[in-house]
Amino acid sequence: MKNRKSNIFRWVVFIIVAFIINFPVISTISASLKSAAEISRSPGLFVSEPTLQNFAVILEVTERLNIFAYLQNSLMASLIGSILPIMLCFPLSYAVARRGYGTNVIFPTVVNLRAMPLIIFAIPLYMMYQTLGLLDTPLGLGLVLAVVNLPLALLLLVNAINDVPYELDEAARMDGARIFTILIKIVFPICLPALATVFIFSFITAWNEFLFGLMLTTTKAVPMTVGASFFFSSGGGGVQWGVAAAVIVVASLPPVVLGILMYKHISRSMTAGAVKG
Amino acid sequence: MTTRQENRILAAPVVLFLLAMLGFPTIIDIIYSLSEVSFENLRSPSFNGGQNFVTVFNDAEFWSASWFSLKFGVTTAFAECALGLILAVYLAPIIRNNNWMIAVLIMPMIIAPVMMGLMYRLVLHEFVGSLPHYLYTWFNWSPAFLSRENVFLTVFTIETLQWTPFAFLLFYMAYQAIPSDMREAAAVDGTRPWRMFWYIELPQMAPTIAVGFFIRFIDGFRVFDNIFVLTGSGAGGSTTSLSIYIYLSFFRSGDIGKALAASVVLFCVAFVILFFAGRFLRRKRA
Amino acid sequence: MTVKRYLLGAVAAAALCTATASNAEVTVLGWPGGPEEVALTAAAELYNSNPAVSEENKVKLIFFSREGFFDKLQADLAAGTDAFDANLLATYSIGRYAPYMKTVTLSDNAADVFGESVLSTMQFEGKQYGVPTDLSLHFLYYRSDLNEALLVDESQHAKYGDISEKYLGARLSPKDPDSWTWQDFAANALYFTKSINPDSPTRYGTVLQLKNLLFNMMVFHSLPRSYGADWMDADGNITVDSDAYREALGLFKILVDAGATPNDSFSYEYAEANAAFGAGQVAAMVQWNAAAADLKDPDKTPVTAEVTSTIAPPTGPEGRFTHVHGLGIGVNASGKNPEGAEAFVRWLSTAEAAQTYALNGGAPGLTSDAVAEIAEQRPDLVPLGEYASSYGFVMNGGTSAKALSVYELQAKEFTGFLSGGKSLDEALSATSDGMAELLK
Repeated sequence: MKNRKSNIFRWVVFIIVAFIINFPVISTISASLKSAAEISRSPGLFVSEPTLQNFAVILEVTERLNIFAYLQNSLMASLIGSILPIMLCFPLSYAVARRGYGTNVIFPTVVNLRAMPLIIFAIPLYMMYQTLGLLDTPLGLGLVLAVVNLPLALLLLVNAINDVPYELDEAARMDGARIFTILIKIVFPICLPALATVFIFSFITAWNEFLFGLMLTTTKAVPMTVGASFFFSSGGGGVQWGVAAAVIVVASLPPVVLGILMYKHISRSMTAGAVKG
Repeated sequence: MTTRQENRILAAPVVLFLLAMLGFPTIIDIIYSLSEVSFENLRSPSFNGGQNFVTVFNDAEFWSASWFSLKFGVTTAFAECALGLILAVYLAPIIRNNNWMIAVLIMPMIIAPVMMGLMYRLVLHEFVGSLPHYLYTWFNWSPAFLSRENVFLTVFTIETLQWTPFAFLLFYMAYQAIPSDMREAAAVDGTRPWRMFWYIELPQMAPTIAVGFFIRFIDGFRVFDNIFVLTGSGAGGSTTSLSIYIYLSFFRSGDIGKALAASVVLFCVAFVILFFAGRFLRRKRA
Repeated sequence: MTVKRYLLGAVAAAALCTATASNAEVTVLGWPGGPEEVALTAAAELYNSNPAVSEENKVKLIFFSREGFFDKLQADLAAGTDAFDANLLATYSIGRYAPYMKTVTLSDNAADVFGESVLSTMQFEGKQYGVPTDLSLHFLYYRSDLNEALLVDESQHAKYGDISEKYLGARLSPKDPDSWTWQDFAANALYFTKSINPDSPTRYGTVLQLKNLLFNMMVFHSLPRSYGADWMDADGNITVDSDAYREALGLFKILVDAGATPNDSFSYEYAEANAAFGAGQVAAMVQWNAAAADLKDPDKTPVTAEVTSTIAPPTGPEGRFTHVHGLGIGVNASGKNPEGAEAFVRWLSTAEAAQTYALNGGAPGLTSDAVAEIAEQRPDLVPLGEYASSYGFVMNGGTSAKALSVYELQAKEFTGFLSGGKSLDEALSATSDGMAELLK
């Protein structure tokens, strides 16, 4: 009896907390469903005359504003920015986990990148990209996002390989298998769940990045976060709050959907990344 | 192939990639931080010794930005970890059977900080935002969320509300990972719940809490996106974090040498702290 | 591995992109998101439809985001970008961009179309760097319904006098906004503030945009100028620590402290101020002329559009002034097709182009002759040109390479004072020192 009562309290707390932390999201969704007139008359959460007009505005492709292109650019850049770190870090993490290789220099250097304000590399990167023709390409943006995601990928993969029973690859080793065979045939399949985790986490991080998207793209490779800011003034004089809200909703949809579908993976990555990290 | 060679090959992809992506920028950063350089002579900087570093260290704004970042990083990390821990432990009994609750609670941290900042720009606006609307209708109160006195509290709250879920999730997973036999043994001994938490569960979670605090501190310390879109640098520069300071010196003032000198300082400080933190954590584990 | 294949594909695609981007045409970077964009698009269409314009000189427009526009443009130009051949210029940033721009020769009758004073908004050190396209200045936006009602209702005049006496130290009576001084503006703002006058139909008398941003300082500057303020005297001495700035900042401080502007004004910029005014909770404000289109459009601003009027900003002891800020298009020196770009810029300075631009929503500052032909369709351009020539000013030093940095500095120091973080003396002396450094 007492237990049930305290569980009811827990539910109440959960609902209140969930409402508070998600309040801006709820409020933005509500604004996105209102006409300009309704927003200025009644800014509350309740929508009396729901309209999809704001979404119609942003989904309309014009020569200048093309939300589908932004989404596609974000997708491309985020895929590169989340798959590349896995490919790069996988071999190194084996060396780190199994042989303690690089624990003095390489491993801490890469992991510490997580703490660097990467803005300090922005201008030199811009100059470098210009020479290489990577400016305003999803590939160029994806490469930077890969740098952003490198630390977490390495950390998580080292932990994942630590979890692989030592006997497995040791046995293969005895049989004379080459290191790359071991990596691909034995370690890789076991680590697949961890790889999926790294991928999801990196993808969300990459999708949400703003500063490099702003600096390194102009027209062809504009990602969604930056494209969203294009809509803020698309109506003429000022911000149309309803349209702005709608574009925030659309821009946030992919990571949120991914997050909701894959929240178990995210939880797992947190355990691996920090509990043991 | 010796193990040594093998290791080198295994490490090569990351090392080469980093050299390619960050090697050149780092060299440019170091050269420019020691040069008189602006957008006008971007490609032909002239060496001026440590002048930029002297400027940075004499700039009151650099110190106030550092102080802001430090204060912001520590307070948000502390609040997020405290709230996250309370939520994780308190809600654990019902989450265990309702995993979907996690998805609801971690939603804010999945949203881009820049989008979050833009959302609050809408939500907090006195005439189009829902929160001021309710405060005014119900309590006849229009607080100045972003005035000089309140702005720190507001950005602190925004950051905390977005990232408490991170701490919560981390601590919940750690809480779940505590071996059940430890709890059972304690329960058999008749240990009360709060004693169990204090003497058994909390020590088990301590390393996770330390790591969580550290990660949140770092992210709070280098905060940029959400504050930048919400208040810019704030009235009289009151919300200038170190990242915003660097950004503004860089672009707005075109003072590239100064901006990069500040970056190099930040880089060195961060590196030293991280080096010792890493050592400390490793030793503790061993 | 499929991943690898995807990456290879991406590399190939990227290479292809850069290869096809080099086809010859004139790429023009415009000011995004406003009526300027619509107008430039229309002008470019007309230009491209001209058979005399060869295929490789056709114009293609691109736009960035307004967020960080000038920062990004500076980074692009400084890095020698060739992503565009012509780009936006602004009066207060010409000095900053001039090193990467080509000077241009405008059409022969450009002076007849725009007038010398408007052409000078696109000049730096005596050279023409671009064609002026839009003129930005400030209007006083006010609620004509509230003002008319107040003028008629004499029972309220005593209260109006009491309030102005209490806060401003002078007994004032309601007036028609066209004859307002800044004192009248302040008295009106205080009277229409609910916390001061509980009968006020609006919550606030005015909305000051005080976010720490350089554009907000431009809006502010019409006030100190009318008290005789300038940045420098003729000898180059900084004159910001003056009675004029003290009066102006003091007046704003009174309004802020009295709560005559929304509590969160220190996070307000253009959009927030418009939203406050459009919600019907503000009696009068000084705002960019560009807002008129939205604020007077019943679809976009249903609450107040019908009762919103505009006029030049109030008068001060030294006269009536509005800060002028011009946008224009200039030629990128590192572009792929500078000749084509210059041809387009030259064409933009013809009467035909300027009128097309104006008829599609742009706001060029035109001479009375040039505007006469389109006065019927764009009556609002008549006061624009008129205000610009009668009240327009540019601060001494306002087009120097560091002009934007001066505004940045003022934004920081003045908001520091207004928000209570610094004394007036501290703020002005810090501004003075900083400006001496920037403008030397």
